[in-house]
Amino acid sequence: MCSQIASAQKEMLQLDEANKYVYYQVVDKQGVAADTLYQRGSYFIKMANFKRRPENVVANAIVTKGKFLVYNGSSVVKKEGGEISYTLSIETKDQKYRYKISDFVFTPYTRDRFDNMVPMPGIEVPIEKLASKYSQKEADNYLSQTGMFCQATSRNLKQYMDKISIARVEEPIKKVVTDKW
Amino acid sequence: MKKKLLLLITLATFTYAVQAQDTAKTDPPLMISGSVDTYFKYDFAKHSNIPTSFASDQNSISIGMIDLALKKKVGKAAFVGEMSFGPRGQAQSIPNNATDNNSYHVQNLYVSYDVTDKFNLTGGYMATFMGYEVISPVGNFNYSTSYLFTNGPFQNAGFKATYLFSDKASLMAGIFNDAWNVYTSVSKVNTFGAQLMVAPAKGWTAYINLLTGTLSGTEIDLTTSYQITNAFKLGLNAADFSAAKAVGTGGFSGIALYPQVAVAKDVTLGLRGEYFKTKTGSVTTLGPKPGSSVTAFTLTANLKSGPLTLIPELRLDNNKSLSDGFTKSGGITPTKSASQFILAAVYSF
Repeated sequence: MCSQIASAQKEMLQLDEANKYVYYQVVDKQGVAADTLYQRGSYFIKMANFKRRPENVVANAIVTKGKFLVYNGSSVVKKEGGEISYTLSIETKDQKYRYKISDFVFTPYTRDRFDNMVPMPGIEVPIEKLASKYSQKEADNYLSQTGMFCQATSRNLKQYMDKISIARVEEPIKKVVTDKW
Repeated sequence: MKKKLLLLITLATFTYAVQAQDTAKTDPPLMISGSVDTYFKYDFAKHSNIPTSFASDQNSISIGMIDLALKKKVGKAAFVGEMSFGPRGQAQSIPNNATDNNSYHVQNLYVSYDVTDKFNLTGGYMATFMGYEVISPVGNFNYSTSYLFTNGPFQNAGFKATYLFSDKASLMAGIFNDAWNVYTSVSKVNTFGAQLMVAPAKGWTAYINLLTGTLSGTEIDLTTSYQITNAFKLGLNAADFSAAKAVGTGGFSGIALYPQVAVAKDVTLGLRGEYFKTKTGSVTTLGPKPGSSVTAFTLTANLKSGPLTLIPELRLDNNKSLSDGFTKSGGITPTKSASQFILAAVYSF
């Protein structure tokens, strides 16, 4: 069952015209103007705390870059296997928007002398070529985690674009009355 | 259809579980990592000539160590505790050499705190920040060690502060025990250490290191590596050590070059070329006699299969003088050169 889940997550990624993995969706938002969607998208980028400042390539478009960690092993021997950098672009039109997560590049981690996992500088492997550099199991694992990351980012972005209140409502602490009985 | 439905339910359950965990914000788990290594060495003079730190046993299938590290980080505070058992991590790692040859050895035992995203404080007993090679076989490409590594510090106990200016530069400064490789200072905490890291280009990092004290002496070290392409990496280590007056006179200097090329997915070949020179004086090194030098070439392959690395290695050392310590078969007739073969296996987890 676990391997089926991993495979499903990997299959969330699609191949584009250039045979590069992308996570791409077009979403209808009836009755919402392009500018409003753009503002919501910008707010998502701001709140998601991307390190890079968004670049405006065309009107109503946001392009930014980020990276996430991927892991090897499980339980107590789980450790960082590397990091994957990516580009996120969001484009808006009246009543719809689209987003694409692409340009995935893997940088492996190695254990340093202080027992910290750190990036191996200068090694960059496009995730389409993972299987040619690492075992099939490792490549599938990283692709699966990339799929998971894209799903999570997609869910998060959708919340902002739908303008669902993100702020957690603080529920009053329920106190028990002990002096009357 | 049934299968798809089951898969969807499982995915939904998994997603829910992940969300629930996010809400609860549990601490990251305790992490365990480490390695195990074993080797066979054959010196062609039929006795051990080359003073490499580890891989010392002649014509023997011998063990290195089992290295076990525990690590945990909660918020801004972290600790690492790394212990080793076996010759490589015990007597050959120096601190236990003079006392008991049969106890475990601490490789790293420190706590650290991220004051900010860019400023970190760390204190305890740590692997040295000096040099290119390390004790752990996972951190080295070659299995035998260089003269620069063997004669430099292995570990330093102390307190250090590191400031990260950017991804391209950081500065560490710290105060360490008066002697290298000791859990307890001889009498003072007066060795100053500093490290400047710069990354001048993508894939290129350089560390300029200084360690100086009235008992430990002064070592200046440059360690740099440049991943020129995905397949080719060039490393360099140069160091100069002058013994403290309290200990004697002399020291060493040297340079080692480490070109490595990945020839296949799981195969990397590397050469280490080293020139090591000892200074005239009273201090002796693990190498040629004071005032002499040695040139060493080590050809190594790393054959990887998952977490296992097989390391076949051929090494040829050439001393400047006949009286620098190498002897021919029989152990009496001096010779300038020595050579050895190693086959090692390292498993990391």
